[in-house]
Amino acid sequence: MLSLRQFMKRPDGWGRSEGREIYNRLLDFVEGNPEAIVFRVSLGDVRRLDMSFASETLVELARRYRRIKGFCLIDLSDKDIAENIDAAAERKNQPLLIWEGKSARVIGSNPSEGTREAFQFAMGRSECRASEFATQKGISIANASMKFKQLWNEGFLLRRESVADSGGVEFIYQRIG
Amino acid sequence: MQCVVRFPAKWVSASLFEAALRGSCGPHAPDSHDIVFEIPADCKIMIDSAIRLLSLANQLVSTTRRTRLRFEEGETGTMGYLNRMGFFDCLDPRVGIEPERPFISRAALHRGGNRMLVEITRINRGVRDDELPTRLSDAVKEACTSRVDVEDLGGAVWTIFAELIQNIFDHSDTQLDGYAALQVYPGGNKVSVAVSDSGRGIMDTLRPALRTEFPKLANLSDTEVLVEIFRQGGSRYGADRGCGLKGCAAKAIKFAASLDVRLPNQRVLLVPTNGIYKLNTAHCYERLPLLWGTHIGFNFGMGA
Repeated sequence: MLSLRQFMKRPDGWGRSEGREIYNRLLDFVEGNPEAIVFRVSLGDVRRLDMSFASETLVELARRYRRIKGFCLIDLSDKDIAENIDAAAERKNQPLLIWEGKSARVIGSNPSEGTREAFQFAMGRSECRASEFATQKGISIANASMKFKQLWNEGFLLRRESVADSGGVEFIYQRIG
Repeated sequence: MQCVVRFPAKWVSASLFEAALRGSCGPHAPDSHDIVFEIPADCKIMIDSAIRLLSLANQLVSTTRRTRLRFEEGETGTMGYLNRMGFFDCLDPRVGIEPERPFISRAALHRGGNRMLVEITRINRGVRDDELPTRLSDAVKEACTSRVDVEDLGGAVWTIFAELIQNIFDHSDTQLDGYAALQVYPGGNKVSVAVSDSGRGIMDTLRPALRTEFPKLANLSDTEVLVEIFRQGGSRYGADRGCGLKGCAAKAIKFAASLDVRLPNQRVLLVPTNGIYKLNTAHCYERLPLLWGTHIGFNFGMGA
């Protein structure tokens, strides 16, 4: 877990230049934990956060590591903060998940019409293969793979390589958080 | 040539401020060298007009024009209110005051004594007061405790001040100070939030970036671009930035707030219709008397 407040000077995050300063600290933390793939970012004790600050910190971090590492948000009950992060993420076409207990909602960008079901399927389990979704939906594995690849490309999911029963390479897709 | 701007003997909203300016020969006009702002008895200057007047007077003396504010009612009238709000603390000492500049700053005397009232705050580009948006939004919350949406309102006001004040630091490009102010009306039923700077005006800083970053907006008129900035966002630094103004508008719309944007020669008044700001319901004024900078005011009514 990464507590954003611990990287901030004050409980309020205001403006781009302050955001860039905090971003560098966050970057050091992420680089200092190379084995970590998913970072649950706690917004606990953060009082306010404007769009510019959110854009330069959380959203920029998620965008920079898209497809490689995942960042999701927890302890975020403040509606205004959520709205501001949402607006900043939307601007950069970056999805971000907010987790509340066992359920999550996506802010920023949304999955396209064609990938929405695949995304919901992936969100229902910690990890899955495209072939599992193909079987459930009765669609071709190639079609399912395309949807999952798109979700991975756009920052909705992570993936890692695995060896399929056939001996070939297969991707295992992971939800973020 | 003397240029007289006479305000009416009633509450002076931003619209009446503009009417008074239009009724003059233009304080920034090349042949205006002696400018008098006349404030008659019973004239009450609302906060958004007050900081526009403050910015304008400071602009005029910075161009070596003789500039005076004539308060016909003396300190018993609107001058007393402006003194309490810290107007004279922010006013360039070269601006003449008639009958005379208040001897004591009531803002300095009472500063911090009333958490519901926040004096006009100077925004100097060299120094950022990190607590400013919080102080302003806390004052709104203190004054509006009876509103059920007080927390949401506080959050919206914080975001609006944070984004608008930061814009001054990032874009205004001037040595003159900017100002932030708010006024909460009795009962908390109406809240005015205003931020002014004397810089280049957002259109001047945005126009050059439109062709490359927002080609769809490049051929629109200034007024149309302005409405779109508040609807879609936009920044001279590129498409993935500049959600600030759009975000401010989104917050304000939730409270059915009207939005008033004054640029050097234009003014757009946006009133939400069905939850959004639309071009066809925007009141647009062009070729106005020159007032440097960007002056933005939000007027919040009751919670939506």
